[in-house]
Amino acid sequence: MILEFLISAVGLGALYALLTIGVALLFGVLGLMNFAYGEIILAGAFAMYLFRDQPWLVALLMAIVFAVVVALLSERLAFHPLRNADPVTLMIASFAVSLAIQSLARMTVLPRTRGVAPEDFLAHRVDLLGADVSVLDLLTLALCGTMLVAVAWMMGRTSLGIQLRAAAEDFQMASSLGVRANLVIPSAFVTVGVLAAVGSAVLVARQGAVSADMGLQPMLIGVVGAVLGGMSSLKGAALGGFLLGAATALLESLLPTDLIAFRDAFLFSALIAVLVVRPQGLLSGAKVRVS
Amino acid sequence: MVLSITDAYLQYGASVMAVQGCSLHVGEGELVSLIGQNGAGKSTLVKAVMGQVPLHSGTITVDGHSVSDRGFSTVRKRVSHVPEDRGIFASLTVGENLRLGGITRKDKAGLARDIERELERFPVLRKYWSRGASLLSGGEQQQLAIARALLLDPRLLLLDEPTLGLAPIIVDLIFDVVVQLREEGMTILLVEQNAVRSLEVSDRSYVLQAPGKVLGSGSAAELGELPAVVEYLGFSPAEVGVTR
Repeated sequence: MILEFLISAVGLGALYALLTIGVALLFGVLGLMNFAYGEIILAGAFAMYLFRDQPWLVALLMAIVFAVVVALLSERLAFHPLRNADPVTLMIASFAVSLAIQSLARMTVLPRTRGVAPEDFLAHRVDLLGADVSVLDLLTLALCGTMLVAVAWMMGRTSLGIQLRAAAEDFQMASSLGVRANLVIPSAFVTVGVLAAVGSAVLVARQGAVSADMGLQPMLIGVVGAVLGGMSSLKGAALGGFLLGAATALLESLLPTDLIAFRDAFLFSALIAVLVVRPQGLLSGAKVRVS
Repeated sequence: MVLSITDAYLQYGASVMAVQGCSLHVGEGELVSLIGQNGAGKSTLVKAVMGQVPLHSGTITVDGHSVSDRGFSTVRKRVSHVPEDRGIFASLTVGENLRLGGITRKDKAGLARDIERELERFPVLRKYWSRGASLLSGGEQQQLAIARALLLDPRLLLLDEPTLGLAPIIVDLIFDVVVQLREEGMTILLVEQNAVRSLEVSDRSYVLQAPGKVLGSGSAAELGELPAVVEYLGFSPAEVGVTR
Protein backbone atom coordinates (compact mmCIF):
# COMPACT_ATOMS: atom_id res chain seq x y z
CA MET A 1 0.00 0.00 0.00
CA ILE A 2 2.79 2.43 0.94
CA LEU A 3 4.89 1.47 -2.10
CA GLU A 4 1.85 1.80 -4.36
CA PHE A 5 1.17 5.25 -2.95
CA LEU A 6 4.82 6.28 -3.23
CA ILE A 7 5.03 5.30 -6.89
CA SER A 8 1.79 7.13 -7.63
CA ALA A 9 2.83 10.27 -5.69
CA VAL A 10 6.38 10.45 -7.05
CA GLY A 11 5.12 9.76 -10.58
CA LEU A 12 2.51 12.52 -10.44
CA GLY A 13 5.09 14.81 -8.83
CA ALA A 14 7.55 14.11 -11.65
CA LEU A 15 4.82 14.80 -14.26
CA TYR A 16 3.92 18.12 -12.63
CA ALA A 17 7.63 18.98 -12.34
CA LEU A 18 7.99 18.53 -16.12
CA LEU A 19 5.05 20.86 -16.67
CA THR A 20 6.42 23.56 -14.36
CA ILE A 21 9.92 23.49 -15.86
CA GLY A 22 8.32 24.23 -19.23
CA VAL A 23 6.64 27.32 -17.80
CA ALA A 24 9.63 28.55 -15.78
CA LEU A 25 12.17 28.09 -18.57
CA LEU A 26 10.39 30.46 -20.97
CA PHE A 27 9.62 32.89 -18.18
CA GLY A 28 13.28 33.06 -17.27
CA VAL A 29 14.76 33.22 -20.75
CA LEU A 30 12.18 35.42 -22.44
CA GLY A 31 10.23 37.04 -19.60
CA LEU A 32 7.29 35.18 -21.11
CA MET A 33 4.44 33.79 -19.04
CA ASN A 34 3.40 31.44 -21.81
CA PHE A 35 -0.31 30.73 -21.64
CA ALA A 36 0.03 28.97 -25.01
CA TYR A 37 1.95 26.20 -23.21
CA GLY A 38 -1.31 24.30 -22.95
CA GLU A 39 -1.65 24.27 -26.72
CA ILE A 40 1.88 22.87 -27.12
CA ILE A 41 0.66 20.05 -24.88
CA LEU A 42 -2.47 19.85 -27.05
CA ALA A 43 -0.29 19.40 -30.16
CA GLY A 44 1.45 16.45 -28.52
CA ALA A 45 -1.85 14.99 -27.35
CA PHE A 46 -3.32 15.31 -30.83
CA ALA A 47 -0.37 13.37 -32.24
CA MET A 48 -1.04 10.64 -29.65
CA TYR A 49 -4.63 10.52 -30.97
CA LEU A 50 -3.61 10.66 -34.65
CA PHE A 51 -1.08 7.86 -34.29
CA ARG A 52 -3.12 5.84 -31.81
CA ASP A 53 -2.98 2.76 -34.05
CA GLN A 54 0.81 2.87 -34.23
CA PRO A 55 3.08 1.41 -31.56
CA TRP A 56 3.00 3.62 -28.48
CA LEU A 57 6.65 4.65 -28.82
CA VAL A 58 6.05 5.77 -32.40
CA ALA A 59 3.10 7.86 -31.23
CA LEU A 60 5.29 9.36 -28.49
CA LEU A 61 7.96 10.24 -31.03
CA MET A 62 5.37 11.93 -33.25
CA ALA A 63 3.99 13.77 -30.21
CA ILE A 64 7.49 15.20 -29.65
CA VAL A 65 7.69 16.25 -33.31
CA PHE A 66 4.24 17.90 -33.25
CA ALA A 67 4.82 19.72 -29.96
CA VAL A 68 8.29 20.95 -30.96
CA VAL A 69 6.98 22.21 -34.31
CA VAL A 70 4.11 24.09 -32.65
CA ALA A 71 6.48 25.50 -30.01
CA LEU A 72 8.96 26.69 -32.65
CA LEU A 73 6.22 28.12 -34.89
CA SER A 74 4.76 30.07 -31.98
CA GLU A 75 8.24 31.43 -31.25
CA ARG A 76 8.95 32.35 -34.86
CA LEU A 77 5.55 33.83 -35.74
CA ALA A 78 4.37 35.38 -32.48
CA PHE A 79 7.15 35.84 -29.94
CA HIS A 80 10.19 36.52 -32.14
CA PRO A 81 8.77 39.83 -33.45
CA LEU A 82 8.05 40.80 -29.82
CA ARG A 83 11.45 39.84 -28.47
CA ASN A 84 12.10 43.20 -26.82
CA ALA A 85 8.50 43.83 -25.78
CA ASP A 86 7.52 44.17 -22.15
CA PRO A 87 6.25 41.09 -20.26
CA VAL A 88 2.62 42.23 -20.32
CA THR A 89 2.66 42.45 -24.12
CA LEU A 90 4.25 39.01 -24.31
CA MET A 91 1.67 37.58 -21.95
CA ILE A 92 -1.22 39.00 -23.98
CA ALA A 93 0.38 37.65 -27.15
CA SER A 94 0.58 34.21 -25.53
CA PHE A 95 -3.16 34.43 -24.72
CA ALA A 96 -3.79 35.20 -28.38
CA VAL A 97 -1.63 32.28 -29.54
CA SER A 98 -3.38 30.00 -27.06
CA LEU A 99 -6.88 30.98 -28.22
CA ALA A 100 -5.90 30.87 -31.90
CA ILE A 101 -4.49 27.33 -31.72
CA GLN A 102 -7.34 26.11 -29.54
CA SER A 103 -9.99 27.59 -31.89
CA LEU A 104 -8.20 26.20 -34.93
CA ALA A 105 -8.16 22.75 -33.35
CA ARG A 106 -11.84 23.03 -32.43
CA MET A 107 -12.81 24.13 -35.96
CA THR A 108 -10.80 21.46 -37.73
CA VAL A 109 -9.52 18.30 -36.12
CA LEU A 110 -10.99 18.34 -32.61
CA PRO A 111 -14.58 19.69 -32.75
CA ARG A 112 -15.42 17.32 -29.91
CA THR A 113 -13.62 15.15 -27.39
CA ARG A 114 -11.95 12.15 -29.01
CA GLY A 115 -11.41 8.96 -27.08
CA VAL A 116 -8.01 7.30 -27.15
CA ALA A 117 -8.28 3.73 -25.98
CA PRO A 118 -5.52 2.99 -23.51
CA GLU A 119 -2.81 0.66 -24.71
CA ASP A 120 -3.33 -2.85 -23.43
CA PHE A 121 -0.07 -2.89 -21.55
CA LEU A 122 -1.03 0.26 -19.65
CA ALA A 123 -4.20 -1.33 -18.26
CA HIS A 124 -2.24 -4.11 -16.50
CA ARG A 125 -1.22 -4.21 -12.89
CA VAL A 126 1.96 -5.85 -11.69
CA ASP A 127 3.19 -7.20 -8.41
CA LEU A 128 6.15 -5.13 -7.22
CA LEU A 129 7.73 -6.17 -3.91
CA GLY A 130 4.33 -7.38 -2.76
CA ALA A 131 2.49 -4.24 -3.82
CA ASP A 132 -0.17 -4.20 -6.53
CA VAL A 133 1.02 -1.38 -8.81
CA SER A 134 -0.55 -0.14 -12.05
CA VAL A 135 1.68 -0.13 -15.14
CA LEU A 136 0.36 3.36 -15.93
CA ASP A 137 1.75 4.66 -12.62
CA LEU A 138 5.06 2.92 -13.29
CA LEU A 139 5.19 4.38 -16.80
CA THR A 140 4.41 7.87 -15.49
CA LEU A 141 7.22 7.55 -12.96
CA ALA A 142 9.72 6.03 -15.39
CA LEU A 143 9.02 8.41 -18.27
CA CYS A 144 8.78 11.63 -16.29
CA GLY A 145 11.67 10.60 -14.02
CA THR A 146 13.85 9.85 -17.05
CA MET A 147 12.93 13.19 -18.60
CA LEU A 148 13.78 15.04 -15.39
CA VAL A 149 17.16 13.29 -15.21
CA ALA A 150 17.76 14.10 -18.90
CA VAL A 151 16.84 17.77 -18.38
CA ALA A 152 19.02 17.94 -15.26
CA TRP A 153 21.91 16.43 -17.23
CA MET A 154 21.41 18.80 -20.15
CA MET A 155 21.15 21.84 -17.90
CA GLY A 156 24.09 20.88 -15.70
CA ARG A 157 26.54 19.18 -18.04
CA THR A 158 26.24 20.75 -21.46
CA SER A 159 27.32 24.15 -22.71
CA LEU A 160 23.79 24.79 -23.99
CA GLY A 161 22.35 23.96 -20.58
CA ILE A 162 24.71 26.38 -18.82
CA GLN A 163 23.79 29.08 -21.34
CA LEU A 164 20.08 28.38 -20.83
CA ARG A 165 20.42 28.61 -17.05
CA ALA A 166 22.44 31.81 -17.31
CA ALA A 167 19.95 33.34 -19.76
CA ALA A 168 17.04 32.31 -17.53
CA GLU A 169 18.68 34.13 -14.63
CA ASP A 170 19.92 37.34 -16.27
CA PHE A 171 19.41 37.55 -20.01
CA GLN A 172 21.19 40.89 -20.47
CA MET A 173 24.33 39.78 -18.65
CA ALA A 174 24.35 36.47 -20.50
CA SER A 175 24.08 38.34 -23.82
CA SER A 176 26.95 40.62 -22.90
CA LEU A 177 29.10 37.51 -22.37
CA GLY A 178 28.22 36.22 -25.82
CA VAL A 179 25.29 33.92 -25.11
CA ARG A 180 23.30 34.24 -28.34
CA ALA A 181 19.58 34.97 -28.16
CA ASN A 182 19.09 33.20 -31.48
CA LEU A 183 20.50 30.03 -29.94
CA VAL A 184 19.04 29.99 -26.44
CA ILE A 185 15.50 31.18 -27.20
CA PRO A 186 14.71 28.58 -29.90
CA SER A 187 16.52 25.96 -27.78
CA ALA A 188 14.28 26.86 -24.86
CA PHE A 189 11.19 26.43 -27.05
CA VAL A 190 12.47 23.04 -28.31
CA THR A 191 13.09 21.93 -24.71
CA VAL A 192 9.61 23.11 -23.75
CA GLY A 193 8.15 21.23 -26.74
CA VAL A 194 9.84 17.97 -25.71
CA LEU A 195 8.72 18.36 -22.08
CA ALA A 196 5.16 19.18 -23.16
CA ALA A 197 5.07 16.17 -25.52
CA VAL A 198 6.14 13.72 -22.83
CA GLY A 199 3.61 15.32 -20.47
CA SER A 200 0.89 15.04 -23.10
CA ALA A 201 1.63 11.35 -23.72
CA VAL A 202 1.23 10.61 -20.03
CA LEU A 203 -1.91 12.77 -19.77
CA VAL A 204 -3.56 11.05 -22.75
CA ALA A 205 -2.73 7.66 -21.27
CA ARG A 206 -4.22 8.70 -17.91
CA GLN A 207 -7.31 10.48 -19.29
CA GLY A 208 -8.02 8.27 -22.31
CA ALA A 209 -9.26 11.27 -24.31
CA VAL A 210 -8.11 14.31 -26.27
CA SER A 211 -10.01 17.60 -26.52
CA ALA A 212 -9.25 21.10 -27.78
CA ASP A 213 -9.16 22.57 -24.27
CA MET A 214 -7.20 19.75 -22.63
CA GLY A 215 -4.07 21.92 -22.30
CA LEU A 216 -5.71 24.35 -19.88
CA GLN A 217 -5.44 22.23 -16.74
CA PRO A 218 -1.77 21.19 -17.21
CA MET A 219 -0.85 24.77 -18.15
CA LEU A 220 -2.40 26.01 -14.91
CA ILE A 221 -0.57 23.29 -12.98
CA GLY A 222 2.65 24.46 -14.61
CA VAL A 223 2.05 28.09 -13.68
CA VAL A 224 0.98 27.30 -10.11
CA GLY A 225 3.88 24.90 -9.56
CA ALA A 226 6.35 27.42 -10.92
CA VAL A 227 4.96 30.19 -8.70
CA LEU A 228 5.14 27.86 -5.70
CA GLY A 229 8.76 26.88 -6.36
CA GLY A 230 9.93 30.30 -7.54
CA MET A 231 9.56 31.60 -11.07
CA SER A 232 13.18 32.67 -11.34
CA SER A 233 14.69 29.32 -10.42
CA LEU A 234 14.42 26.22 -12.59
CA LYS A 235 15.25 23.99 -9.63
CA GLY A 236 12.63 25.82 -7.59
CA ALA A 237 10.03 25.38 -10.34
CA ALA A 238 10.75 21.65 -10.55
CA LEU A 239 10.47 21.37 -6.77
CA GLY A 240 7.20 23.35 -6.78
CA GLY A 241 5.71 21.11 -9.45
CA PHE A 242 6.88 17.97 -7.70
CA LEU A 243 5.40 19.05 -4.37
CA LEU A 244 2.13 20.00 -6.06
CA GLY A 245 1.85 16.59 -7.72
CA ALA A 246 2.86 14.67 -4.62
CA ALA A 247 0.39 16.68 -2.50
CA THR A 248 -2.38 15.97 -5.02
CA ALA A 249 -1.70 12.24 -4.82
CA LEU A 250 -1.50 12.43 -1.02
CA LEU A 251 -4.84 14.22 -0.74
CA GLU A 252 -6.48 11.74 -3.11
CA SER A 253 -5.31 8.92 -0.87
CA LEU A 254 -6.04 10.48 2.49
CA LEU A 255 -9.24 12.45 2.00
CA PRO A 256 -12.53 10.70 2.82
CA THR A 257 -14.59 9.95 -0.30
CA ASP A 258 -17.11 12.74 0.32
CA LEU A 259 -14.30 15.32 0.58
CA ILE A 260 -12.38 14.24 -2.55
CA ALA A 261 -14.40 16.75 -4.61
CA PHE A 262 -12.83 19.51 -2.49
CA ARG A 263 -9.27 18.29 -3.10
CA ASP A 264 -8.22 21.40 -4.96
CA ALA A 265 -9.63 23.64 -2.22
CA PHE A 266 -7.32 21.95 0.31
CA LEU A 267 -4.43 22.01 -2.14
CA PHE A 268 -4.66 25.67 -3.02
CA SER A 269 -5.31 26.71 0.59
CA ALA A 270 -1.98 25.09 1.44
CA LEU A 271 -0.40 26.83 -1.55
CA ILE A 272 -1.66 30.23 -0.40
CA ALA A 273 -0.31 29.53 3.10
CA VAL A 274 3.14 28.76 1.63
CA LEU A 275 3.09 31.91 -0.50
CA VAL A 276 2.09 34.07 2.48
CA VAL A 277 5.29 32.91 4.21
CA ARG A 278 7.47 32.90 1.05
CA PRO A 279 5.84 35.12 -1.59
CA GLN A 280 8.91 34.79 -3.83
CA GLY A 281 8.48 31.00 -3.95
CA LEU A 282 10.36 28.21 -2.22
CA LEU A 283 13.72 28.49 -3.98
CA SER A 284 13.59 31.88 -5.61
CA GLY A 285 16.35 34.40 -5.15
CA ALA A 286 17.94 34.94 -8.55
CA LYS A 287 17.24 37.90 -10.75
CA VAL A 288 14.55 37.85 -13.40
CA ARG A 289 14.77 39.55 -16.75
CA VAL A 290 12.15 42.28 -16.85
CA SER A 291 12.31 43.26 -20.49
CA MET B 1 41.82 55.22 -29.94
CA VAL B 2 40.17 52.06 -28.62
CA LEU B 3 37.17 53.87 -27.13
CA SER B 4 35.99 57.23 -28.32
CA ILE B 5 32.92 59.01 -26.96
CA THR B 6 32.09 62.30 -28.65
CA ASP B 7 29.41 64.76 -27.52
CA ALA B 8 27.23 61.91 -26.24
CA TYR B 9 23.70 62.53 -25.01
CA LEU B 10 22.15 59.56 -23.24
CA GLN B 11 18.53 59.34 -22.24
CA TYR B 12 16.67 57.05 -19.83
CA GLY B 13 13.01 56.66 -20.73
CA ALA B 14 11.22 59.59 -22.32
CA SER B 15 12.49 62.48 -20.25
CA VAL B 16 15.62 61.83 -18.16
CA MET B 17 18.74 62.96 -20.02
CA ALA B 18 21.38 61.36 -17.76
CA VAL B 19 24.39 62.41 -19.85
CA GLN B 20 24.55 65.66 -21.80
CA GLY B 21 27.39 66.25 -24.19
CA CYS B 22 30.12 64.03 -22.77
CA SER B 23 33.33 63.41 -24.70
CA LEU B 24 36.13 61.10 -23.64
CA HIS B 25 38.75 58.87 -25.20
CA VAL B 26 40.70 55.81 -24.10
CA GLY B 27 43.83 54.92 -26.02
CA GLU B 28 45.45 51.52 -26.53
CA GLY B 29 46.93 50.17 -23.30
CA GLU B 30 45.67 53.11 -21.26
CA LEU B 31 44.02 52.94 -17.85
CA VAL B 32 41.51 55.77 -17.74
CA SER B 33 39.23 56.40 -14.79
CA LEU B 34 35.90 58.15 -14.56
CA ILE B 35 35.50 59.96 -11.27
CA GLY B 36 32.38 61.63 -9.99
CA GLN B 37 29.61 61.57 -7.45
CA ASN B 38 26.51 59.40 -7.55
CA GLY B 39 24.32 60.42 -10.46
CA ALA B 40 27.14 62.01 -12.44
CA GLY B 41 26.41 59.63 -15.32
CA LYS B 42 29.48 57.36 -15.04
CA SER B 43 27.66 54.01 -15.10
CA THR B 44 25.27 55.30 -17.77
CA LEU B 45 28.23 55.96 -20.06
CA VAL B 46 29.56 52.45 -19.52
CA LYS B 47 26.13 50.95 -20.19
CA ALA B 48 25.91 52.99 -23.39
CA VAL B 49 29.20 51.49 -24.58
CA MET B 50 27.64 48.07 -23.96
CA GLY B 51 24.53 49.09 -25.91
CA GLN B 52 22.35 48.87 -22.81
CA VAL B 53 21.42 52.57 -22.87
CA PRO B 54 20.48 54.07 -26.24
CA LEU B 55 22.52 56.92 -27.67
CA HIS B 56 20.30 59.98 -28.16
CA SER B 57 22.94 61.89 -30.08
CA GLY B 58 26.70 62.02 -30.47
CA THR B 59 28.92 59.04 -31.21
CA ILE B 60 30.47 56.16 -29.32
CA THR B 61 33.00 54.05 -31.18
CA VAL B 62 35.15 51.06 -30.30
CA ASP B 63 38.14 50.70 -32.59
CA GLY B 64 36.43 53.11 -34.97
CA HIS B 65 33.16 51.15 -35.15
CA SER B 66 30.03 52.87 -33.89
CA VAL B 67 28.15 51.01 -31.15
CA SER B 68 24.92 52.31 -32.75
CA ASP B 69 25.58 50.47 -35.99
CA ARG B 70 23.39 47.50 -36.80
CA GLY B 71 25.44 44.41 -36.29
CA PHE B 72 27.87 46.00 -33.84
CA SER B 73 28.60 43.42 -31.16
CA THR B 74 30.50 44.16 -27.98
CA VAL B 75 31.39 40.48 -27.87
CA ARG B 76 32.87 40.47 -31.37
CA LYS B 77 34.72 43.70 -30.54
CA ARG B 78 35.88 42.01 -27.34
CA VAL B 79 34.51 44.58 -24.90
CA SER B 80 34.21 43.06 -21.42
CA HIS B 81 31.99 44.64 -18.82
CA VAL B 82 32.09 44.07 -15.07
CA PRO B 83 28.84 45.75 -14.01
CA GLU B 84 28.25 47.51 -10.73
CA ASP B 85 26.15 44.59 -9.43
CA ARG B 86 28.86 42.16 -10.67
CA GLY B 87 26.40 40.20 -12.85
CA ILE B 88 27.28 36.88 -11.26
CA PHE B 89 24.94 34.01 -12.09
CA ALA B 90 23.90 32.86 -8.65
CA SER B 91 22.45 29.55 -9.83
CA LEU B 92 25.71 28.55 -11.54
CA THR B 93 28.91 27.31 -9.94
CA VAL B 94 32.12 29.33 -9.97
CA GLY B 95 33.48 27.06 -12.72
CA GLU B 96 30.35 27.45 -14.84
CA ASN B 97 30.46 31.24 -14.46
CA LEU B 98 34.07 31.19 -15.65
CA ARG B 99 33.28 28.91 -18.60
CA LEU B 100 30.62 31.39 -19.69
CA GLY B 101 33.29 34.09 -19.84
CA GLY B 102 34.99 32.24 -22.68
CA ILE B 103 31.84 30.91 -24.35
CA THR B 104 32.55 32.65 -27.66
CA ARG B 105 36.19 31.63 -27.88
CA LYS B 106 37.19 29.04 -30.45
CA ASP B 107 40.75 28.51 -29.17
CA LYS B 108 39.94 25.98 -26.47
CA ALA B 109 43.61 25.44 -25.58
CA GLY B 110 44.09 29.18 -25.19
CA LEU B 111 40.96 29.40 -23.08
CA ALA B 112 42.13 26.59 -20.79
CA ARG B 113 45.46 28.40 -20.40
CA ASP B 114 43.70 31.67 -19.61
CA ILE B 115 41.40 30.01 -17.06
CA GLU B 116 44.52 28.64 -15.36
CA ARG B 117 46.07 32.14 -15.44
CA GLU B 118 42.98 33.65 -13.77
CA LEU B 119 42.94 30.89 -11.15
CA GLU B 120 46.56 31.81 -10.38
CA ARG B 121 45.55 35.46 -10.14
CA PHE B 122 42.51 34.72 -7.96
CA PRO B 123 43.35 31.53 -5.96
CA VAL B 124 40.05 31.70 -4.10
CA LEU B 125 38.26 30.80 -7.36
CA ARG B 126 40.23 27.55 -7.66
CA LYS B 127 39.35 26.72 -4.07
CA TYR B 128 35.63 27.27 -4.69
CA TRP B 129 35.51 26.03 -8.32
CA SER B 130 32.55 23.70 -7.73
CA ARG B 131 30.76 25.91 -5.22
CA GLY B 132 27.56 27.77 -6.10
CA ALA B 133 28.40 31.39 -6.91
CA SER B 134 25.63 32.58 -4.61
CA LEU B 135 27.64 31.21 -1.67
CA LEU B 136 30.64 33.48 -2.33
CA SER B 137 31.25 36.63 -0.33
CA GLY B 138 30.98 40.02 -2.05
CA GLY B 139 34.76 40.24 -2.51
CA GLU B 140 34.94 36.71 -3.92
CA GLN B 141 32.08 37.48 -6.31
CA GLN B 142 33.93 40.57 -7.52
CA GLN B 143 37.05 38.50 -8.17
CA LEU B 144 34.90 36.02 -10.10
CA ALA B 145 33.31 38.83 -12.13
CA ILE B 146 36.71 40.27 -13.09
CA ALA B 147 38.20 36.84 -13.89
CA ARG B 148 35.18 35.99 -16.05
CA ALA B 149 35.45 39.31 -17.90
CA LEU B 150 39.14 38.66 -18.62
CA LEU B 151 38.36 35.29 -20.20
CA LEU B 152 36.81 37.05 -23.21
CA ASP B 153 40.42 38.11 -23.89
CA PRO B 154 39.14 41.67 -23.98
CA ARG B 155 40.36 44.49 -26.14
CA LEU B 156 38.64 46.90 -23.75
CA LEU B 157 37.76 46.20 -20.11
CA LEU B 158 35.00 48.26 -18.47
CA LEU B 159 35.12 48.10 -14.68
CA ASP B 160 32.10 49.72 -13.03
CA GLU B 161 32.62 50.46 -9.33
CA PRO B 162 34.67 47.30 -8.71
CA THR B 163 35.36 48.13 -5.06
CA LEU B 164 31.87 49.26 -4.08
CA GLY B 165 30.89 47.91 -0.67
CA LEU B 166 34.00 45.78 -0.22
CA ALA B 167 36.25 45.42 2.82
CA PRO B 168 39.49 47.49 2.73
CA ILE B 169 41.67 44.41 2.27
CA ILE B 170 39.63 43.37 -0.77
CA VAL B 171 39.72 46.93 -2.12
CA ASP B 172 43.54 46.74 -1.96
CA LEU B 173 43.47 43.40 -3.77
CA ILE B 174 41.20 44.73 -6.53
CA PHE B 175 43.38 47.80 -7.08
CA ASP B 176 46.48 45.57 -7.13
CA VAL B 177 44.84 43.53 -9.88
CA VAL B 178 43.92 46.70 -11.81
CA VAL B 179 47.56 47.83 -11.65
CA GLN B 180 48.68 44.35 -12.72
CA LEU B 181 46.34 44.47 -15.73
CA ARG B 182 47.59 47.95 -16.65
CA GLU B 183 51.14 46.65 -16.60
CA GLU B 184 50.08 43.74 -18.83
CA GLY B 185 48.97 46.35 -21.38
CA MET B 186 45.20 45.97 -20.96
CA THR B 187 43.04 48.91 -22.07
CA ILE B 188 40.77 49.77 -19.15
CA LEU B 189 38.01 52.24 -18.39
CA LEU B 190 37.57 52.30 -14.62
CA VAL B 191 34.51 53.86 -12.99
CA GLU B 192 35.17 54.63 -9.35
CA GLN B 193 33.96 56.80 -6.50
CA ASN B 194 37.20 56.26 -4.66
CA ALA B 195 38.86 59.25 -6.32
CA VAL B 196 42.21 59.08 -4.54
CA ARG B 197 42.85 55.42 -5.35
CA SER B 198 41.67 55.91 -8.93
CA LEU B 199 43.97 58.86 -9.51
CA GLU B 200 46.85 56.85 -8.03
CA VAL B 201 46.54 53.99 -10.51
CA SER B 202 45.24 55.71 -13.68
CA ASP B 203 47.18 57.12 -16.61
CA ARG B 204 44.46 59.73 -17.05
CA SER B 205 41.16 60.54 -15.39
CA TYR B 206 37.96 62.32 -16.33
CA VAL B 207 36.06 64.13 -13.59
CA LEU B 208 32.36 64.00 -14.32
CA GLN B 209 29.63 66.23 -12.95
CA ALA B 210 25.90 65.59 -13.33
CA PRO B 211 24.50 65.30 -15.92
CA GLY B 212 27.53 63.64 -17.47
CA LYS B 213 29.55 66.77 -18.14
CA VAL B 214 33.33 66.56 -18.12
CA LEU B 215 34.63 69.04 -15.57
CA GLY B 216 38.25 68.29 -16.35
CA SER B 217 40.56 65.57 -17.58
CA GLY B 218 44.21 64.62 -17.51
CA SER B 219 46.76 63.07 -15.21
CA ALA B 220 46.45 63.59 -11.46
CA ALA B 221 49.00 66.41 -11.66
CA GLU B 222 47.12 68.12 -14.51
CA LEU B 223 43.79 67.82 -12.69
CA GLY B 224 45.38 69.43 -9.63
CA GLU B 225 45.90 72.57 -11.67
CA LEU B 226 42.19 72.92 -12.48
CA PRO B 227 40.47 74.93 -9.71
CA ALA B 228 36.97 73.70 -10.66
CA VAL B 229 38.12 70.08 -10.35
CA VAL B 230 39.91 70.66 -7.05
CA GLU B 231 36.80 72.36 -5.68
CA TYR B 232 34.55 69.52 -6.91
CA LEU B 233 36.80 66.78 -5.51
CA GLY B 234 37.41 68.67 -2.29
CA PHE B 235 41.16 68.07 -2.49
CA SER B 236 44.14 68.59 -4.74
CA PRO B 237 45.76 65.30 -5.83
CA ALA B 238 49.17 66.55 -4.79
CA GLU B 239 47.88 67.39 -1.30
CA VAL B 240 46.86 63.77 -0.72
CA GLY B 241 50.13 62.45 -2.08
CA VAL B 242 48.98 61.49 -5.59
CA THR B 243 51.70 62.56 -7.97
CA ARG B 244 51.20 60.17 -10.90
